[in-house]
Amino acid sequence: MTATATKQREKTDYIRILLTQRIALLAVLIVVVVVTFFINDAGGYLTAPYDFDYMSASLINAVPLAMLGLAELLVIMSGRGGIDLSVGAIVSLAGMGFGFAYGEWGWPLWLAILGTAAFGALLGAVNGFLVSYIGFPALIATLATFYAYKSLAIVINNQQPISTKPIQELFSMSKPVELPLIGEYLPDVPLGIFTFLLPTVVAVWLLLARTTYGRRLYAIGTNDVAARWAGLPVRDTRFKAYVYAGLISGLVAVVTVGQFASARPDAGVSGNGMALPAITIAVLGGVAITGGIGRVAGVVLATLLIVWLNAGILLAFVGNEGSQYQLLALGSVLVFAALLNGLTNRKYGGSS
Amino acid sequence: MTATMQQPARVKKRVLPNLVTGQEIVLVGVIAVLWAALALSTPAFLTAGSIQPLLVSTAPIALIGVAMTIVIITGGIDVSVGGAIMVCSVLTAKALVGAEVNLPVAVLLAVAAGGVLGLVNGLLIAYGRVHAIIITFGTANLFMFLGLQIFGSGTVNGIPGTLAFFGRGPDGRTLGIPHAFLITVLITAAVWWYLRNIAGGRHFFAIGGDEQAARLAGVRVQRRILLAYVLTGLLVGLASCFVIAQGTSTLDQSVGSGKELAVIAAVVIGGTSIMGGRGSVLGTLLGALLVQSVASGVTQLGWRSQLSDLFVGIFIIVAVGADLLRARARRSR
Repeated sequence: MTATATKQREKTDYIRILLTQRIALLAVLIVVVVVTFFINDAGGYLTAPYDFDYMSASLINAVPLAMLGLAELLVIMSGRGGIDLSVGAIVSLAGMGFGFAYGEWGWPLWLAILGTAAFGALLGAVNGFLVSYIGFPALIATLATFYAYKSLAIVINNQQPISTKPIQELFSMSKPVELPLIGEYLPDVPLGIFTFLLPTVVAVWLLLARTTYGRRLYAIGTNDVAARWAGLPVRDTRFKAYVYAGLISGLVAVVTVGQFASARPDAGVSGNGMALPAITIAVLGGVAITGGIGRVAGVVLATLLIVWLNAGILLAFVGNEGSQYQLLALGSVLVFAALLNGLTNRKYGGSS
Repeated sequence: MTATMQQPARVKKRVLPNLVTGQEIVLVGVIAVLWAALALSTPAFLTAGSIQPLLVSTAPIALIGVAMTIVIITGGIDVSVGGAIMVCSVLTAKALVGAEVNLPVAVLLAVAAGGVLGLVNGLLIAYGRVHAIIITFGTANLFMFLGLQIFGSGTVNGIPGTLAFFGRGPDGRTLGIPHAFLITVLITAAVWWYLRNIAGGRHFFAIGGDEQAARLAGVRVQRRILLAYVLTGLLVGLASCFVIAQGTSTLDQSVGSGKELAVIAAVVIGGTSIMGGRGSVLGTLLGALLVQSVASGVTQLGWRSQLSDLFVGIFIIVAVGADLLRARARRSR
């Protein structure tokens, strides 16, 4: 009698954990996706093998996606309708800046990367100033800067991409490499993961979990009036969230230039742009659009889910059908996650 | 006697909002200055051959903007209109090419398709109780998938001139006024009147001001929100007919791309508060006209057309900044 009651409670606990712990849900979904494609692969339904090598190679797409997802995490967390529509346009404009500095003016690579990151941070600071100090709604301010930066990026070099020799040689950055020591037992991993993604992930995690600034960001996102009465520098904290988002976008610009072997003026805004997928990743990763809730691990897992799902879809369909079904997958996953959030909020009073 | 006659009139005046808002007067002024400057620098600007295309290209953005204004007044947003334009226009274009449908059927088809897409958004937002921006980001992807599936591979070619009634050509004008613009103005006027004078219209403002208070006051909040998104879908359908008519006989897969941001830009330049509860469709029409005038001016001055986006960004900052300053002045008064 008591045994069945305990069992019953355990069962509801599993469901509860799955619904309220976004990380648990994402982990389960990743396993489901990977196992599904492995089975499809074994059955010979895919156009190319879906194995660990392929999964590892597809991680190159995770670098810009996860980094911009983390940028959105910071601004959405800061509350007051925080959002950054301009990240894609910053990637374009900062990328052109990097193209000039490294490709035309011959700056050393480290200086060009630092300069691009600083440039990105400056562009983010414009957003932060408008939102935090003047009081613009974030959606409006970043919509305006999206237009302005996008336009500048295209006009600055007469619509021409910069692809001089030093820029073309950067392509080696996105090459897969074998890890030292244990590398022969593991698939090769794209270099960008180690040079850009992992440092960013660790830095943002440290920032949020181990610094005063991180605690302040959670506080102002949850309730900025209470935070102000508690004596926190609300404006300064929110301002910096946009600066960090711009800085990360500047780094993504370097990655993107390396990936295309060319600084393209429309790199971050062509097609759907980079902002919408980044916001999608953040929301899927459990960041509450109202602010104050969000975790780095959620964003990383959401990126892995989407990247491996997209990689599988690409093999399951022929031609550009694949890229169309990626839209379907992204849209359905987002709507599903959002409805689930709404349901958990009503049933369990919130998720983390 | 006279005092009792005056009493109700004064009460009525207080209940109804002003006929025009400050933002609208400012916008009319800015557009007038801009047109005057353009007329001085390029004499060709103030001619029918230059103004007519400007009005035609304003129509789709302004028309969707009217519905988007209502959505934003309720405190929501719809970023899926770009995808919805794609679905409606490719569906209609295929029907025009394949089934050779006539004008009313084509319009009905586009509007019905748009209505269905709007219904999907509305149901998810009103009854799923999820923030509109997330749902519409999701449905934007779904609509684009749907649109690309209908496209099949490549473009839709050889679209007949059935929709020339809405187009740039002489068939699209009466007394020199383009039909597309005329229809947009009429719908804007009707919606403006409805929002200002009818209880149902005031409910949208009540929801945006305070949803909970509106519910307690007896507003059927969920139904109103649903209606706002369905209306957006219907007007997207009509606007898609304008888009097809304005283009060449070929429709390519980039149709609708980025239009959601252009529409939102027109709405916020028009003085509608993104926080909800305050806004005007008249302002949106003027906002769309301003954005298109800038684009047209940049081209006529021989500058790079992409430069107009820079001005759009600046206009958003200035327009919303002016609104913020006025709001600050209102509060301190």
